[in-house]
Amino acid sequence: MLAGLAGEAEPYRRLLDDLARLLRAYYARRCPPGMDAEDLVQETLIAVHTRRATYDPGQPFTAWAYAIARYKLIDALRRGRAHLRAPLEAAEALFAPGGGPDGAEAAMAARDLDRVMARLNPRTRALIREVKIEGLSTREAAARHGMTETAVKVAVHRGLKALGGQYGRGGPDAD
Amino acid sequence: MRTEDLIRDLSADLPKVTPGAVAGRIALGLGLGGAASAALMLIWLGPRPDLGAALATPMFWMKLGYAAATGLIAALLLVRVARPAARPGALVAAAAAPFAVVALMAAVRLAQAPPDLRPALMMGHTAPHCPWRILAIGLPVLAGAVWAVRGLAPTRLGLAGLAAGLSAGGLGAAIYAIACDETSAPFLAIWYTAGIAALSVAGVAVSRLLRWR
Repeated sequence: MLAGLAGEAEPYRRLLDDLARLLRAYYARRCPPGMDAEDLVQETLIAVHTRRATYDPGQPFTAWAYAIARYKLIDALRRGRAHLRAPLEAAEALFAPGGGPDGAEAAMAARDLDRVMARLNPRTRALIREVKIEGLSTREAAARHGMTETAVKVAVHRGLKALGGQYGRGGPDAD
Repeated sequence: MRTEDLIRDLSADLPKVTPGAVAGRIALGLGLGGAASAALMLIWLGPRPDLGAALATPMFWMKLGYAAATGLIAALLLVRVARPAARPGALVAAAAAPFAVVALMAAVRLAQAPPDLRPALMMGHTAPHCPWRILAIGLPVLAGAVWAVRGLAPTRLGLAGLAAGLSAGGLGAAIYAIACDETSAPFLAIWYTAGIAALSVAGVAVSRLLRWR
């Protein structure tokens, strides 16, 4: 973690890998049925990353990381987030080149996509369009919006997750 | 997104973190809030007219010292509880120390005073206003503290709210002390404490705002 705070990517990546394994074990035992444990793992990794300035080098790293994991679990339970159930891959697939349905189905999918995208906040919508459809790099999108690259990644990740939730809950089948 | 991809993305974007970033953010929040509070005090009440002469009296410094010490100790506590897995430790006791000193001085002053003077020592001439003014003047500081802590990572929100309210109470009362011309220790122990306590309650009440994602 100390290397991570100093900006060294490789030891930091190994730390996050190890942490992801610990978190999977942690949430496997605590995550209630119907909630996606892997989503909580990812939420916690994002929080560990974006809030890494709050790590005090004088304290044990695991105690700090587990406190965040516990906070994220309580937060998820409090929200009772139904959309945690929707797999993020479903939303990712919508943007996969060549992977979508064709013909009339594609037109319908595009309409549905517009409809669910309309519920995101404008900046997140723009970021998803740029990064996932226009193919901009995270760096270019960050520069365009005056955001940090981390903020762009987190916004896109959360936007996709929200899309997955809406698509899963109120998608075409529900009409 | 697969977790491995997320980890790769996160570790690819890794600006250095400055040590002291947590304390810096809290100092900024309390400082900006304090500036707004000072402006509010100057516009609404104005400094006491005899401020120049008051600077030479120990009572002025005792009021300012009690409030500022409470606020600063609570700010240290806030720096601690804005982090995950925070252990507040001895700082909770330390936060009560200024009050203990002032309460003792008030008790001595009351014990030495003739009984018919005691009500005046306790009530001064602004008792009905004092706690409410401290509450109002401290609110911008509380807003600054909430802003700062939301950007950090408190995992015990109630405790963080209490620390935010107590620091806002102490600093707000210190700013109010510039406007207030009361001169007795019993008044300070009762009414300043009531104002500081009101902001502490407000801090706990708004601790939901400290949730972060």
